[in-house]
Amino acid sequence: MLDDLLNRRFFLGSAAAVGAGMVGALPAVSTGKAFAQAAAPAAPKGPQYLKYPGKNDQLVLLGDRPLVAETPENLLDDDTTPTEKLFVRNNGQIPEEVKDPDQWKFVIDGEVKNKVEMTLGELKSKFKPVTRRIVLECGGNGRSFFSPETRGNQWTNGGVGCPEWTGVRLADVLKIAGVKPSAVFTGHYGSDPHLSGDAGKQAISRGVPIKKLMDENNLLVWALNGQPLPNIHGGPLRLIIPGWPGSVSAKWLTRIWVRDRYHDGQGMGQFSYRVAVKPMVPGDKADEKNFRDLESMPVRSIITSPANGAKIAAGTKDIKLRGAAWAGDLTVKLVEVSTDFGATWTKAKLQAPKNKYDWQRWTSVVKLPSDGYYEIWTRGIDSRGVAQPHIAGSWNPQGYGGNQMHRVAVLVG
Amino acid sequence: MRRAWLAISGTALVVLVTSIVQQLHAQTQQPGFVQREEAPEEFPSGAGRDETFYACTACHGFQLVAQQGMNRRQWDESVALMSQKHNMPPLDDKDRETILNYLETSFPPRAAPRGGWKNPFTNR
Ligand code: HEC
Repeated sequence: MLDDLLNRRFFLGSAAAVGAGMVGALPAVSTGKAFAQAAAPAAPKGPQYLKYPGKNDQLVLLGDRPLVAETPENLLDDDTTPTEKLFVRNNGQIPEEVKDPDQWKFVIDGEVKNKVEMTLGELKSKFKPVTRRIVLECGGNGRSFFSPETRGNQWTNGGVGCPEWTGVRLADVLKIAGVKPSAVFTGHYGSDPHLSGDAGKQAISRGVPIKKLMDENNLLVWALNGQPLPNIHGGPLRLIIPGWPGSVSAKWLTRIWVRDRYHDGQGMGQFSYRVAVKPMVPGDKADEKNFRDLESMPVRSIITSPANGAKIAAGTKDIKLRGAAWAGDLTVKLVEVSTDFGATWTKAKLQAPKNKYDWQRWTSVVKLPSDGYYEIWTRGIDSRGVAQPHIAGSWNPQGYGGNQMHRVAVLVG
Repeated sequence: MRRAWLAISGTALVVLVTSIVQQLHAQTQQPGFVQREEAPEEFPSGAGRDETFYACTACHGFQLVAQQGMNRRQWDESVALMSQKHNMPPLDDKDRETILNYLETSFPPRAAPRGGWKNPFTNR
């Protein structure tokens, strides 16, 4: 098979012909030679940045295919994350933008008394809209902090944002559907094609237990920061299931399947979005039976100003800090900062969330004794008293729950 | 060349053809977004590089592969996962050996944690 794969280089040369309608026929290879002889593009050096219409060009590109980009901590300095700064995570291909959003159809079926089949237009007209500022966070946020390395996109802390979402409460729609007592779990479906293009496979299809499904904070969303939900963020219609890995908040939502058993869709089971029950030796072969789904995301505090690497004028003694903290299903009770690598801590001024599942902005002023090199560290402590650790512990093969303390280095003078 | 193509198993060909069509699709369907075309030469040279590159880019960018650092067992598990979960045509023993040799040599676990946090003031 590999010899054939090597021919793909030649094959690519005739891709235009394939695109022009030759699918199914064996491609002609004669045009391939020119392609093969063309000089290979130089490997890009250093971090790559996202170039996408409507998106900030300082988002760091983690991958082109699927398209994945994270927001550096210092770009999360707005109280409400602007759409252009919201991270991008795709598991499959990005579907084509729809022409008439109000005609978008979705279904709620399975263990319900009345199957719901509705267009977005009907949804908008039948239910009372709500707007909430809610954290959306990738389940793998912080993965790059694990040692040894874990498999997947190497997120730092930037797989997160907290914009304003407008939609209707999923609970209101579920009232009409009437969830049966036999309901156990959900399976969520979107229209994004699997990366391979195989129409029989989902790019991703995850779900939640019924208790989480019934949470009144879950939304069916069609607007982001007051504008129609952009295609790249799952428009015209997506789910927002706050506090849990972003992958349960299906983009391009077409179906919520209420099931009488645990969901077996793409991205469920084995090691996907799962953590070890009995702690395992980092890097060891993992045993599937020892794993459970990651549910609430762990507590995380980030410094959004100054930026890592900031140079500060000589003689500056007071450094003003700004940041944000959140804790999945919980709230953040305390944010602390340190300028001595965690030897001593001071309490930051922490705001209350605007609404449940909002992040909490914080500020602090730290005093430095002299010019020089300093690191500013922060840690959040959640409402149950659980703090962020110094390192990403609880190793698991795909690197979930990596919430080690955030630090930025600054040079004064 | 044509004969080589005819020799491909049905599934492999379908995967290749669809992936290329999709690639084209991806480039044209999102207005204003141009996907960068990767080439094997961008990645560490070594035996099996081109084979690995073409085997692993039918569905996703090679960057997703190259950003990992794993030992042979973990690479083996990852490659198996592509067949179990994503319908990659299973590799025969010889091909698997070639690919694992390249992946193991070129993308081993990096010695120091190369996590997201890097001191911006060192090696200036
Ligand atoms: C038939 C399609 C297909 C082929 C061929 C394929 N992959 Fe994948 N691979 C996928 C999909 C789909 C994902 C998940 C992408 C996502 O969710 O972001 C993935 C993800 C990955 C990941 C990241 C792990 C994760 O779960 O995000 C690694 C590493 C990887 N592939 C390695 C390889 C290697 C090495 C090869 C070549 C031997 C290969 N892949 C070939 C479909 C494929």
